Amino acid sequence: MAASSGNTMQGELNRTLRPADVTDFNSIIGNVIGEKGKRQQVFVPFGGIPQPPKSKEEIMIARAFESCTFKATASCVIGFGIGGAFGLFTAGIDPMSTMSTETPTTKMVLREMKLRTISYGKNFAMIGCLFAGTECLLESYRGKTELLNGTLSGGFVGGIIGLRAGVKAGLLGAAGFALFSTAIDYYMRHG
Amino acid sequence: MASLNEAQLKLVADLEIEMMADMYNRMTMTCQKKCIPPRYNDAELAKGEAVCIDRCVAKYLDIHDRIGKKLTAMSQQDEATMKKLQSQMQPQQQS
Repeated sequence: MAASSGNTMQGELNRTLRPADVTDFNSIIGNVIGEKGKRQQVFVPFGGIPQPPKSKEEIMIARAFESCTFKATASCVIGFGIGGAFGLFTAGIDPMSTMSTETPTTKMVLREMKLRTISYGKNFAMIGCLFAGTECLLESYRGKTELLNGTLSGGFVGGIIGLRAGVKAGLLGAAGFALFSTAIDYYMRHG
Repeated sequence: MASLNEAQLKLVADLEIEMMADMYNRMTMTCQKKCIPPRYNDAELAKGEAVCIDRCVAKYLDIHDRIGKKLTAMSQQDEATMKKLQSQMQPQQQS
């Protein structure tokens, strides 16, 4: 009976259903779908362009570079660099905005340069780290890549930074930074 | 379940290959339609898109497994019912 039902695959679809057909059907789909199926095989993807499978180290490294912590720390370091350069530059141009003696000596200018480098560098590093971290976390949570992520995280970071000077400054900082972040993202994508 | 003969084993292997290929195609198309907006400014996969694709594939495979288990459960129930009917019919025929 099993052999004959195997041969009925070629023809004879208009005879009445027998109990053996149901049993055979069940045993076949039990092997294909159910627990008896050969699950221990490695699933080879069908279709697509055949490529050599990536090695484990390659996948790990790629995942590490895409992770949120890496992006936040990279942003922190780059922020420190840019802030330091900016502080150095402004101290070179106008070192005496914080003090009011008439002619600065070289030693005072150099000291001012060092102070401003560190101060601006820390500020920029904190802003960069917070912004990149919140944007990456938001994007991971939402699962979408849009301009809205930049806006929301800019508002959040601007609010946090502005909150140090009061609620109104916080709101203003949030709005301003959100707008700035959206403009920069828009320019980078469409410009 | 009874052990399968050669023709049925070949059938099982063919069906499995076809099922896997079909599932892979559908999964690719569905997840691409859901996760990747048709605006191709960048060749790299962004973080949000990668996260979305991971989640989409995990959900799809989970659904596939559950529905498969449900289908085998339903068909085994059908078989049990049919066997019961058959055993009920035979005593009537004998009597």
